[in-house]
Amino acid sequence: MSAGTAHGHDLHESTGVENRKLGMWFFLSSEFLFFGALITNYLLFKGRLDQSDELYPFNFYDIPFTSVSSFVLLMSSLTMVLAHHALHEGDQERTRTWLLATAGLGLVFLGGQYFEFTEFALNGASLSAAPVWSAFFVLTGFHGAHVLIGVVMLLVLFGTSLRSPTGLSEHHGLNVELVGLYWHFVDIIWIVIFTIIYLIP
Amino acid sequence: MAGDLSTKTPTTRMYIRVALLLGLLTAIEVALFYIVELGPMSQGMANPLLISLAIAKFLIVVGYFMHLKYEIPLLSRTFAIGAILALGLYAIVIVETLFRTAG
Repeated sequence: MSAGTAHGHDLHESTGVENRKLGMWFFLSSEFLFFGALITNYLLFKGRLDQSDELYPFNFYDIPFTSVSSFVLLMSSLTMVLAHHALHEGDQERTRTWLLATAGLGLVFLGGQYFEFTEFALNGASLSAAPVWSAFFVLTGFHGAHVLIGVVMLLVLFGTSLRSPTGLSEHHGLNVELVGLYWHFVDIIWIVIFTIIYLIP
Repeated sequence: MAGDLSTKTPTTRMYIRVALLLGLLTAIEVALFYIVELGPMSQGMANPLLISLAIAKFLIVVGYFMHLKYEIPLLSRTFAIGAILALGLYAIVIVETLFRTAG
């Protein structure tokens, strides 16, 4: 490992990319296998049900509602990238605002997911109703868990920014970038889930 | 900002345009879903369009919001390897299961 210095900040890299950032990309790359397994699991179980079956998932989905949730998550990617951009420009106040907005939009998405799960369960599609529903809840639940972890990380960054008199430092700047990468990844996974799980019967 | 962030990152206006495009693509996806529901288009015709739109959204977020468009190729390759491995592996699983259940 070599260490370089830029703007007075030690860079740990031997590939031209900060090691933590490269590590994050490796982690995100490995997450494809994780979510891929869960999506495949859902598709295989869905294939076992006839479309006329009363537990067929498309009889339960509320597409307008999920579309709004998807839009909210997409816009949270915008606020996340704006937080990163504001920090890049040294604007601590805007950074804090966008970080909080991203966490807020993430919570709105999670609230929507909670409402959706409750509606499904009340209509008979519980975790144990059918294998396809177990697969659905595990897939979307794990995605929701990822969103929740993202929200916690965003709030930690927000708190760190509030505690420090100078806001987020150059060192924290990389943290914002890493949390941003994680957040955008959660968004692209939802892009896939929304199309494959909700829009294609 | 920590060292290796590219200096060629897009502007705020560019980010907003990208987000609007993503919103528009999502609206087209939902519209396609209802066009199929109402009858003018078959599901078979809509599926490739829906998948193409999802791939477009995926690439836009990865390219612009995750800055992969502006990063060194190592990161793109790292990310692509995971995606291709997952896609290949699970495509095999699905095809194998379909053949097994059909047989």
